[in-house]
Amino acid sequence: MLNYALRRLMMLPIVLFALSLMIFALQMSLSPTQRLAAYAPSPDYLKGGQESIRRMIEQYGLNDPFYIQYGRWIGGILSGNLGWSETARQPVSTALMSLFPATLELVVLAFVPCLLLAVFLGSRAGIHLNRWPDHVIRIFTILGWSFPVYVFGLLMLLIFYSALDWFPPGRLSQWAQTVVSSSDFVRYTGANTIDALLDGNLAIFGDALRHLAAPVITLTYVNVASMTRVMRTSMLETLRQDYVRTARAKGLPRRVVELRHARRNALLPVATIAGMELAVMMGGVVITETIFDYTGLGQFAAKTAANLDFPAVLGFGLYFAVVLVLMNLLVDLIYPLLDPRVKTQ
Amino acid sequence: MKRTLALALSLGLGIAAAPAMAETKNPGTFVFMWTDDIQSFDPAYIANTPSSYGTLNIYSRLLNFNGSKISEFVPSLSTEVPSLENGLIKQGTDGSVSYTFPIRKGVFAHKVGVKGADGKIAWEYYDKLTDAQKSAMEPGYGEITPEDVRYSLLRAILQGQSWMSNAITEVITAGKYPDIAKWVETEGKVKSINDASPEILRKVYDELASQIIVDGDNLTLKLPKSFPATLGVIALPFGTSVLDKEWVASVGGWDGSGDTWKAHYRPELGANPLFAEENGTGPFMLEEWDRTDRRITLKRFDNYFLGPAKLERVVMRTVPEWTTRRLQLLSGDADFVTAPVEFIDELGKTEGIKVIDGLQKVFSRGIYFAWPLDDNDNPAIGSGKLDGAGIPPDFFADIDVRKGFNYAQNYDALLKQVLLEKTVQSHGPTVRGIMGYRPDSPIYSYDPAKAEEHFKKAFGGKLWETGFAFTAYVTEGNPHFTAALSALQQGLSRINPKFRMQIQALPWASISDKLNNREKPAAPLTVMGWGPDYSDPGGPLGAATYYLSPTGLVGGMVGQGYRDLMTEKFKPLLDEAWASVDPAVREPIYAKLQEMSYEYATTQFLWEDFGYVVTRSNIDGYVDNMILYGAWDFYPVSKDND
Repeated sequence: MLNYALRRLMMLPIVLFALSLMIFALQMSLSPTQRLAAYAPSPDYLKGGQESIRRMIEQYGLNDPFYIQYGRWIGGILSGNLGWSETARQPVSTALMSLFPATLELVVLAFVPCLLLAVFLGSRAGIHLNRWPDHVIRIFTILGWSFPVYVFGLLMLLIFYSALDWFPPGRLSQWAQTVVSSSDFVRYTGANTIDALLDGNLAIFGDALRHLAAPVITLTYVNVASMTRVMRTSMLETLRQDYVRTARAKGLPRRVVELRHARRNALLPVATIAGMELAVMMGGVVITETIFDYTGLGQFAAKTAANLDFPAVLGFGLYFAVVLVLMNLLVDLIYPLLDPRVKTQ
Repeated sequence: MKRTLALALSLGLGIAAAPAMAETKNPGTFVFMWTDDIQSFDPAYIANTPSSYGTLNIYSRLLNFNGSKISEFVPSLSTEVPSLENGLIKQGTDGSVSYTFPIRKGVFAHKVGVKGADGKIAWEYYDKLTDAQKSAMEPGYGEITPEDVRYSLLRAILQGQSWMSNAITEVITAGKYPDIAKWVETEGKVKSINDASPEILRKVYDELASQIIVDGDNLTLKLPKSFPATLGVIALPFGTSVLDKEWVASVGGWDGSGDTWKAHYRPELGANPLFAEENGTGPFMLEEWDRTDRRITLKRFDNYFLGPAKLERVVMRTVPEWTTRRLQLLSGDADFVTAPVEFIDELGKTEGIKVIDGLQKVFSRGIYFAWPLDDNDNPAIGSGKLDGAGIPPDFFADIDVRKGFNYAQNYDALLKQVLLEKTVQSHGPTVRGIMGYRPDSPIYSYDPAKAEEHFKKAFGGKLWETGFAFTAYVTEGNPHFTAALSALQQGLSRINPKFRMQIQALPWASISDKLNNREKPAAPLTVMGWGPDYSDPGGPLGAATYYLSPTGLVGGMVGQGYRDLMTEKFKPLLDEAWASVDPAVREPIYAKLQEMSYEYATTQFLWEDFGYVVTRSNIDGYVDNMILYGAWDFYPVSKDND
C-alpha cells in the first residue's frame, strides 16, 4: 500500500511540470502588450504614453524569449518563490496559503453533510424504489440539480439575510472583524470557526457560523443531488446482487441486509464521485464565494484569470493539480476499506 | 444575464427585503464597498484613481483643492497659496518662475521617533504618546519640516515609477523631460538609464536638487520657465504627498543621498518598503490592509493638524458581486456601494438610500479614428482596399470620411435613450469647467444629408459607389460604448446600405494590444475616453494635450497620420498657449483648438462622462471634485447615528 502511494506521489512532479509548460505556452501566445495587462490592469496606465509602455515591458521582461521567462519562473519555484500576484498584491504562495483555510473551512463544512445526506437519501430512494420516499427524494435531487447555484444562492441571501437577517454575507461581521484583527485574537489556522474555539471566543465562533451557514447550505444542496443519484443507482444495482438475495434467504433482518450488506458495497461509486467533487470544490467554489462575498480560492482564481495575472494563474494551476492528484490517491486508498477485493487485486 | 436575473429576483422579493431597512449599524465606522482595489500606499508609486483613495486620506500635500473647485486651492502643509499677488510666485528676468511655499510648523506624522533610554529611536504612534514620550521625541523624526517636503518631491521624481510622479519632473523641468530616465539618458548620452555612470546619476541629481530649495521655513521650486499647471500638480494626491524622510529611511527606503537614489528607481511593487506601510500626516492612519480579504481599515488620526475627522474608522472592502453589495447597503452593513447605472433610479426611490446623481466628470467619451492602419494580416480592415469588402489603411485620413462618420451618429438618441439625459454632448477635448470650453462652440448633430454629401466627396466619389466594411472595437461589458457604436452602425447603413461596420467586443488587454507599442494601429475605430490629470488644458497631462498634441496620449495610439495632422495644425497653437501665464491670452487659444477639433473632425466626441454616488441616507459630507475623479476624501464625511 505504501509503495503504491509513493509511486502515485512520484508522478506529481511530472504532472506539475507538464501543466506549467502548458500554461506558459498559452501565456506566450499573447503579445507582451496583452500580458502587460497584469501589471497595468486599467486603461489609465496608458497615460504614461508609449515610452512608459515600452519601459514596463522591459521592466517585467515580457519581451524575453519563452525559455528565459520560463527559466526565470521555474528558478523561482525551485527557490520556493511562486512569483508575485498583482491581483492579490502579495506573493502567490502567500495568497494561496492565506486563502486556503477559508475555502477548506467552507468546503469541509459543506462536504461532510453533503456526503452523509447523499448516502442516506440515495439508500432510502434505492430501498423504497418507486414508492413515495423515492419520489420525494428524486424531486428533491432534480430540483437541486436544476437550480443554478447563482439563483439558489441569491434566494438564500434574499430570504435569510435581507428578510430575516440571520445569515449575512462575508466571513465575519464588522464588530467581529475588529476583534479578530486585534492583537488579542490569535490566528492559529486562518479558519475562523477553529480559531475562535481555540481562542475560547464563542461570540466569534457564532458569528463565523452565521456567515458560513448560507454558503454551506447552498453548496450542500446543489452538490447533494449528483451524489444522491449515484448512490441511488448503485444501491439499486447492489440490491439485485446474488449475495443480497442470499442474505435475505438466510433470514437476516431486512435492516441488516440493506445497511450492512448492500449499502457498504454501493458506496464505491459514491466514493469516486465524492473524491472528484471534493477536489473540484477545493479548487474554489467561484460562484458561491462570489455571491456570499466569501473571500476564498474560487474568487481569487476567477479574478487572476480575468486579470491575466499569470504568476497567480500558474501558481493556482499547480495547487489544483496537487489537490487533484492527492484526492485521487485518497480515493484509491479508501477503496480497499470499502471493498477488500480491491486490495487483493 | 446575471444582472437581469438579479434585478428580477430583487424586484420579486422586494417585499421580503423591505423589513431590512435597517437601523444604523457600525456607528462611527464608514463601510465603503467598491469593486476596485488599491495598488500601493506609496504615493510615489501609484497613478490610478482607486489607489489615490489611500494617499488622499493618509497623506497631506502642500495645497488642497478648495472643495469641488478644480482650479482653486487652499493651504494645507503650506500656510499660503502662492500667487503673483502675494509675491510667492516670482518671474525671473531669465524667464524662470519660482513658487515659494511657507511650510506649516508643528505638524506631526502618524508615527514619530522617540528616543529610548538606550539611545535607540523607536517609532511610536503620536496619538498614543505619553507626556514623557513626547518630551523624548527626536527632533525631525516625525515632525514635518521643509526638508521633508523637499525629500518627498525628490523621491517621487527619482523613483520614476508612475506618470503622476513623472508629472512633477515635467513641472520642475518645465516640460523639458517627461521623466528622470529621459533626463539621465539625455545627459549621459546613453540608451538606457541602466547604462548611466554614477557620475551622471549624481550630476542629474545635483541639477534637480538645486531647483528644489529649502530656505528657512520655506520651500521654493525654481522652474526654468513657466509651467501654468504647477499648483494643479502640487495639489494632486500622488507623488506630491509629503513623507517623513527619517521614517522612510528607517524602513529601508531611500535615505535622501544623491549617490544612492538609483537603487530605489522603479522598485518592484512588493519590494517597495512603502507598499503597505505609511507614516503620513493626513486625517486617517492605515490600521490594517488585509489583502487576502481585500479589506482596508483606516483609523482616525486624532492629532491631524486641521482637527480630527468626524468618522472614527473607514472600512473599504472590495466586493465584486453587485447583488451582495446591494443587499448589504439595504441592510445597513454597507454605507456606500458602487452601483451599476441601471439601478440608480430604483435605489433613489428606496427608503434609507441616498443617490447623488449627475455628477460631472472631467472627461468625455469619444470614437477615435486611426490612420494609417496596420495592413499586415489585419482582419479589422477586411480586404485592405476600397472595394466594398474592406477599407484602405489610410481610410480615415480623408477628412470627408471623418465628417461623414460624425454626421452619421445619432447623438440625441444616445443622450436621451441610453444616457437618460444625465449628461450633455461633448464639445471636444475640454469639458465644462476647463479653460477653452465654450457652450456655443460647434458640435456635430445627426444629419444624414450632410453625411451623404461628405461621403460622396470622399475618395473622389469612389467610396459612395463601392461602400466599405471594417470592424470597430469596444471594450466588453460596457453597454454605453456598445450603444454608441450600434447607433453609428445604424446611421451608416441607413445612409448607404453598402456601408458596413461590424462591432466586436474585446477585453481591454486585446484592444490595448491593437493600439499600443506598435508601429501602426490595428484598430480603425475604437470607443474610449481619457481625462486630464489637472485642471489646466495644457501641459503634458492636460486635456488639450492629451487629444491634440502629436506627443499626446491619443496621438501615441491612433497612428502617424493623426500625429502629422496634429503637428501641422494644432501643435503651434498648443505651444503658444502654454508659453503664456495669462489666462486672457490662453483661453481664446484653447477655445480655438476646441473649434478646430470640430473643423478637422479629429475624433467623434460623444458625451461628457458623468458620475453618481449611492450611500445610506445618514451619510453626509461627500465632496465631488472632478479632477480627483470623484475620489472620496473621508475627512469631511459624517455618519449620523440616529
